[in-house]
Amino acid sequence: MAYIRKRNRSIFLIFLLPAILVLFLTTIYPMLYAGYLSFRSYDLAKPFVPRVFVGLSNYQNVLTTGDFLHALKITFQLMAITLSIQLFIGVGLALLVTQRLPGMSIARTLLLIPMMISPVIVGLVWLFLYFPELGYLNYFLSYIGIGPISWITSPDWALWAIAIADIWQWTPFIMMGTAAALTSLSPEPYEAAKIDGNTRWQVFRYVTLPQLKPVLVSLLFLRAIDAFKIYDIIFVLTKGGPGDSTEVLSLYIYRQSFTFWQMGVGAAASFVSLIIIVVLITFFFKSLNRDPMQS
Amino acid sequence: MSEITLRNVIKRYGAVEVVHGIDLDVEEGEFVVLLGPSGCGKTTTLRMVAGLEDVSDGNLSIGETRVNEVAPKDRGVAMVFQNYALYPHMTVRQNMEFALKPLGLSAKEVARRVDEIANMLGLSELMARRPAQLSGGQRQRVAMGRAMVRTPDVFLFDEPLSNLDAKLRTQVRLEIAKLHNRLGTTVLYVTHDQVEAMTLADKIVIMRDGHIEQVGTPEQVYSQPDNMFVATFIGSPPMNMIPAQVRERELQANGLALKVPPRFEGRLAEGQSVTIGIRPNGLSLAGAEMPNAAPARVEVTEYLGNEALLDLRVGPHELIAEVPALGRPAPGTEISVQFDPDAIHLFDTETGASLSR
Amino acid sequence: MKSLRLTAFASAVTITAATMAHAKDFDGVELKMLAIGDTSVTRLAPIVDEFEELTGAKVQIDMFPYPGLIDKIVIEASADSPSYQLMWVDSPWVGVLGESGALEDLTDLVKRDAEEIHLDDILPIQLQENTWQGRLLAFPASGMIWHQNYRKDLYGNADEQAAFKEKYGYDLAPAQTWDQYIDIAEFFTRKAGETLAGEALEKDFYGNAQAYSRVAGAITHDFFPIMRSFGGSYWDPETGLCAMDSEAALAAADVMKRLVAFNPPDYLGLMWDIRTGYMERAEVAQSSYWSVRTVRLTNPEEAVLPTVGEAGYAASPTGDGTAQPTMTGALSFGINSKATDQEKEAAWEFIKWGTSRDMMRRFAEEGSGVSQFYKSILSDPDLQEKYPYYKVLLETQDNARRRIFHPFYADVEEIFGVELNKYMAGETETAEEALANACTKINTRLKVFPEDLRLRWINDAPAEIFN
Repeated sequence: MAYIRKRNRSIFLIFLLPAILVLFLTTIYPMLYAGYLSFRSYDLAKPFVPRVFVGLSNYQNVLTTGDFLHALKITFQLMAITLSIQLFIGVGLALLVTQRLPGMSIARTLLLIPMMISPVIVGLVWLFLYFPELGYLNYFLSYIGIGPISWITSPDWALWAIAIADIWQWTPFIMMGTAAALTSLSPEPYEAAKIDGNTRWQVFRYVTLPQLKPVLVSLLFLRAIDAFKIYDIIFVLTKGGPGDSTEVLSLYIYRQSFTFWQMGVGAAASFVSLIIIVVLITFFFKSLNRDPMQS
Repeated sequence: MSEITLRNVIKRYGAVEVVHGIDLDVEEGEFVVLLGPSGCGKTTTLRMVAGLEDVSDGNLSIGETRVNEVAPKDRGVAMVFQNYALYPHMTVRQNMEFALKPLGLSAKEVARRVDEIANMLGLSELMARRPAQLSGGQRQRVAMGRAMVRTPDVFLFDEPLSNLDAKLRTQVRLEIAKLHNRLGTTVLYVTHDQVEAMTLADKIVIMRDGHIEQVGTPEQVYSQPDNMFVATFIGSPPMNMIPAQVRERELQANGLALKVPPRFEGRLAEGQSVTIGIRPNGLSLAGAEMPNAAPARVEVTEYLGNEALLDLRVGPHELIAEVPALGRPAPGTEISVQFDPDAIHLFDTETGASLSR
Repeated sequence: MKSLRLTAFASAVTITAATMAHAKDFDGVELKMLAIGDTSVTRLAPIVDEFEELTGAKVQIDMFPYPGLIDKIVIEASADSPSYQLMWVDSPWVGVLGESGALEDLTDLVKRDAEEIHLDDILPIQLQENTWQGRLLAFPASGMIWHQNYRKDLYGNADEQAAFKEKYGYDLAPAQTWDQYIDIAEFFTRKAGETLAGEALEKDFYGNAQAYSRVAGAITHDFFPIMRSFGGSYWDPETGLCAMDSEAALAAADVMKRLVAFNPPDYLGLMWDIRTGYMERAEVAQSSYWSVRTVRLTNPEEAVLPTVGEAGYAASPTGDGTAQPTMTGALSFGINSKATDQEKEAAWEFIKWGTSRDMMRRFAEEGSGVSQFYKSILSDPDLQEKYPYYKVLLETQDNARRRIFHPFYADVEEIFGVELNKYMAGETETAEEALANACTKINTRLKVFPEDLRLRWINDAPAEIFN
């Protein structure tokens, strides 16, 4: 930057100002305000409830009532289910669509469609599929003799129902990223392995997978952040129910803020979960990203 | 019994035939180079031998076994690729070990073999590095090492030096030659570089458009080219070619008349269209009254140190002559150029075939 | 145009010359209403042009589903410059809206126009439903009770009657106690292929459909009427704290739990409309719900039941069969207190027009209509013939108590929704635990307020409009 002459500096600032302003108004100010709120009692719906400084009691509320911890548990459960299955199927699909087989480019395009749909619409689509009495899914299952499943109205199934919808929507994301990485891999090491006589599994395990790993870690990282924030699909399908079996963090925060109108508690919960996501995900991915060849 | 035998081997991609029924014998311990311009089918032929491409028709045998349908790993071959094909995430040692994985050897045996080859190739210091931390020449050696640890019956090289700079290329070329002398393994080597072919090969196979043009020792393909293609492809700068007609025991080309050399006597018909081929070193400066000489004008001179190349215009023909650098004429000089009768090749203009035999 | 409008206005004045004394020309006034997309509004929305012709005020009604509507209203109420002058109000919301001062006090207007609006023809409890500390904050547009609907044709079938009597030892009739209700539910729960009233069933038939969904606290909307039918109360009158873990509340939770077996398998997802759908499609023997949707059971265009059978109506069962006050509710229109004076006047004019006895009668005669609250309409013999449930609607409101109206109603609805839903789903072991959890959470929020404030919040002062 040293080459920028002094008189250009002010022009520089003028150009940067809008970006700074937008950043401040849309990100920094709301965050600071949320931080301020998290130490206050603030009931948006009930102006008659005193709006005062309450110290750490909102944080205490969040951390000591079981609901937050329960929501945290559900969030990580869902994350574990969706991420592992998305990784498994996504890599499998990527291996499939990068083969030179007829119809693969069409398949590739079709598989991208779920990703382009808004999660609310995805929720609605699956709502039709899952609908207990009239849903298509149970209708088709009945043909292969599987009795009606209470997809979204049974605590045993609801989390899986959400996981399936999320997997349906986001597996293509993993697929796309992996396929791009696969096509960028040089083909010659594979020919070398073929001549050397390594089995397909050995080649996948020791040649392909280690080379994909940086990409897979990045993809999982993005998915993990998304999964931590999952809201729309659940809001449409179960609203956290039945019981609290699909009550994830963002729903918990939503309910604190916009059902109970305890904006301070909602803000405190947001901050706590922000810290958790930053710490845990960083930790998790740091450990994943260690030396890739430890075999 | 030859080590590799190709009989009428054809390769087709859909309706397009790229290798048109070639026959080739590679003897045990022989170093055979497939040489030709790009697109001539040499790499395809090599890949068929490796098993990376299916043979569309014909017979391919290694040893005494027909291997058309045999998986690459069961052919007893090892291959060194143009881009080295190293596993980028593995160390040098891991790269070499991975090639041994299918053999199911004990860890001790694996280490012994890897170390032995690494010593031979001077890789011992590099064993813990990844390919990205190696120079081009080092990578090339690792690629060879990986091929060698398996102690194959046949080595296949696919343009192994083309990614190296000129100096390294000479150096690695020498190493390959030394290794072959030492190991004595059969080698099939693909290149488009005639110097590599000439220096390394016991036998050169010159290919063009999916056909074999000539098979022979480096000396044979240089001094006795079977046809105009081989004649012009081998040798640098290439052989001068002058279309001519046989008239009254002379080879008459526009503005040039040469006596038919005695060894062609009786082989030529009056009025036959032939092409005179003469390498640049078959041309020399001479006095105007000498036989087989023609007036020429020096257009450009290229100084090479010991020699100089002269771009000459003889009548309508452009010729290159290689002459001693000392006393070379200046551009624009009118000189007389002499054609050494022993250096003259004659080809049938129509078929391109050599008329020397 | 102007003259046409004047003519229309003049004729309107002539027709209601005596009562429309305060009708003004509201030319240029634009009113927006934040409302539900349910019968209390959907009938009115298409004809707001008529109101414009009468008064000159233009009304636009934005309709939203019930879940989430209160959130929009709360946000609207907290805004300084309102975009909605009219608000649709479910009677339990008057507490929070009243304590926030979000709604215009209608008491004086109602007193002023008492004659015009036939105040004495309105069921008093429906007005009481809309009061906060004695002041009327909204005006009923639909008056509800929670009652049972049953399959009159099946209850009257001789074979079914005999089989029921043999199994349970008493006559098959609309349940008076919850035990009977459960017996009947059990009795009519049949698998596909079994016989119902002499005919083989093509698909499963259920004894009962209740709302068990936690969404927008749907389960609480069935739980509280049952709790009240056991004589339970929402609040401890001494402390103003949660009393919804009483014996009566436990009994109600027990009733709902025992009914699970006779409900459709997706019971945990049954919302209000999904639940009434089962009754309307003639797939259950009985279902108790708010009377806003009962009218559909009489209309072959809106329900299957009238084409294959007949619906019967009765008051809600009670714990021991002795009468308990009926649970009422009102779906009402209120005025945003932050609207301008002129807008308020126009809005009040609109409320009077949209909830008038003439309008209500017009809806009733159109063949569908809202849940009525004028005594003269509910007691009209012709209408009673057409809508047999009018009789139940009228008679049960002699002895009625209003719904919960606490400012923390939204918390109650949500917390009990989740806790009860967890209990029904088997996630919580016992009803005691579920209800104690819910009360603890509510009390945690309430205990920060002084007791006199808490007692004020549960105080149901009689509506001052009757003074």
